[in-house]
Amino acid sequence: MKHSGKIKSKEIISIALSKGRLFEEVLKLFKNVNIELIDSKIGSRKLVLQDREKNFQFFLLKPVDVPTYVEYGVADVGIAGRDVLLESKADIHLPLDLKIGRCSMVVAGISGTAKEDYRELSAVRIATKYPRITTEYFTQRGVPVEIIYLSGSVELAPVLGLAERIVDLVSTGQTLADNGLQIIEKICDISACLVVNRASYQIKHRAITGLIELLEKSSPIIKS
Amino acid sequence: MKTLTQVPVGTQVFFGNAAKHRRRVEKLIYTVLKRWNYQEIIPPIFDYYDVFSRGMGSESEATLYRFFDREGNLLALRPEFTSLIAKTVATRLLDWPKPLKLCYSGDVFRYEAPRGGRQREFFQLGIENIGGKKVSCDAEVIQIAMESLQRIGIKEFQFNLGEMGFFSGLIKKIGISTVDLKHIKNLMELKDSIGLAGRMKQLNLSTKNKNVLYSLLNLTGKSKVISSARHLVTNEQSMIALENLESLYNKLKRQKLSKHLTIDLSGVRGLDYYTGIVFKIYVPGSGFEVGSGGRYDNLLKNFGCDLPSVGFTFYLERLMPFFLK
Repeated sequence: MKHSGKIKSKEIISIALSKGRLFEEVLKLFKNVNIELIDSKIGSRKLVLQDREKNFQFFLLKPVDVPTYVEYGVADVGIAGRDVLLESKADIHLPLDLKIGRCSMVVAGISGTAKEDYRELSAVRIATKYPRITTEYFTQRGVPVEIIYLSGSVELAPVLGLAERIVDLVSTGQTLADNGLQIIEKICDISACLVVNRASYQIKHRAITGLIELLEKSSPIIKS
Repeated sequence: MKTLTQVPVGTQVFFGNAAKHRRRVEKLIYTVLKRWNYQEIIPPIFDYYDVFSRGMGSESEATLYRFFDREGNLLALRPEFTSLIAKTVATRLLDWPKPLKLCYSGDVFRYEAPRGGRQREFFQLGIENIGGKKVSCDAEVIQIAMESLQRIGIKEFQFNLGEMGFFSGLIKKIGISTVDLKHIKNLMELKDSIGLAGRMKQLNLSTKNKNVLYSLLNLTGKSKVISSARHLVTNEQSMIALENLESLYNKLKRQKLSKHLTIDLSGVRGLDYYTGIVFKIYVPGSGFEVGSGGRYDNLLKNFGCDLPSVGFTFYLERLMPFFLK
């Protein structure tokens, strides 16, 4: 392969990954371009891994921490869902959509009442794990919101009357349906992105653009 | 009630070695600046709000610490030195021989979340070169910044070099509202292709123009970037910008400094007063830029005189961890 030679040029690139829903798919992406992680078994407790060729160092983190490690340059590169990146507002480069872990960020509410326009309400009460994305989406449309931050089981909030709507990630829509909810509006598409520290992008430019080109070829082709 | 021992967010104290080292770094860099005949200027810590707000752009304007005096005038603590120096030159130093070579150091204040070692009060050290020839002064300023880094023992560094004129020329022809432009600039700076695609969908842009904006995201690298960029534009302002960038690059190449340069035409964010070359300075392991600079040919017009100018500044707190390392 043309680019693997470039990557080998002395510099080790550190990559922040998360062991969440994306992990298996990310491993596959790397494997497609002959980057094989050692000791990456699901049961393993190791938090720092290497590849066989020792060109890379991998840190396993919580998804929300990936942008932070990359912004501070502790990791040169990271892979995280666009939801996490939009919420973090970290000042980092997002040069590549990996097209894996695809889902949507949506506004959802109880089925049936869902058609009732939120614009009729003076302020919408919304439960979410994504306060920043939610605030931005509604305030840009001139709708005042009251955010109720929840860290999980967000779907329960409208059912129990804690909030009128939720903003959350949806892939198949099954969880929503099971709890009597439906999508009202799509906010944006979400997928995993490759992110790069601003300084690393300049200082390890060759190695990092080499990695970007490799992964671009490895990521699935999706017609838009 | 806050207790007396509590520390306000964004302030810090230096003592022991930290204080010693900071003073030493400042002294070492001043020896370089003196050799290049830069004279120190010590401007006030506060001035009228408008002095700063004009050149900064609305986003940075929000970070100003402002207050009223007893006559009701709106004042602000300095968020940077360049505006103050531009004002002083335009009002007091017009008859001094050009180019004016000035240097400064001191604290500046910005109401932002502390990040990457930079607090709300932080220390800047920099130079301004006012009223000189374009490319040769650009080269001089970059060379001085590089020598300063070497003087304090930093051998590895990278300057990320862009040209505001290139992007302005392009955007002027396309025609985008100020609000959209702000978003697009930010997305370009983040090299966020998906975000850019989403934003452009809402705008009424031709496919050709969309493709040009997209291509900018990949215009990072060595001198080859300039020739790739030439194929993208036809407008005069962008072409002149590329020409300037090329002669600057070649000039620094002759000084054997081009290995420290990366050209990046998507680097378009920054204070609004920049008009020509812009650069950010990176050191391995720094994470954040340790300094930045650029050309600001229109800033002095705000104060009633028209002189092309260029300068840079170091963020000393971010530089310190690499001193003596």
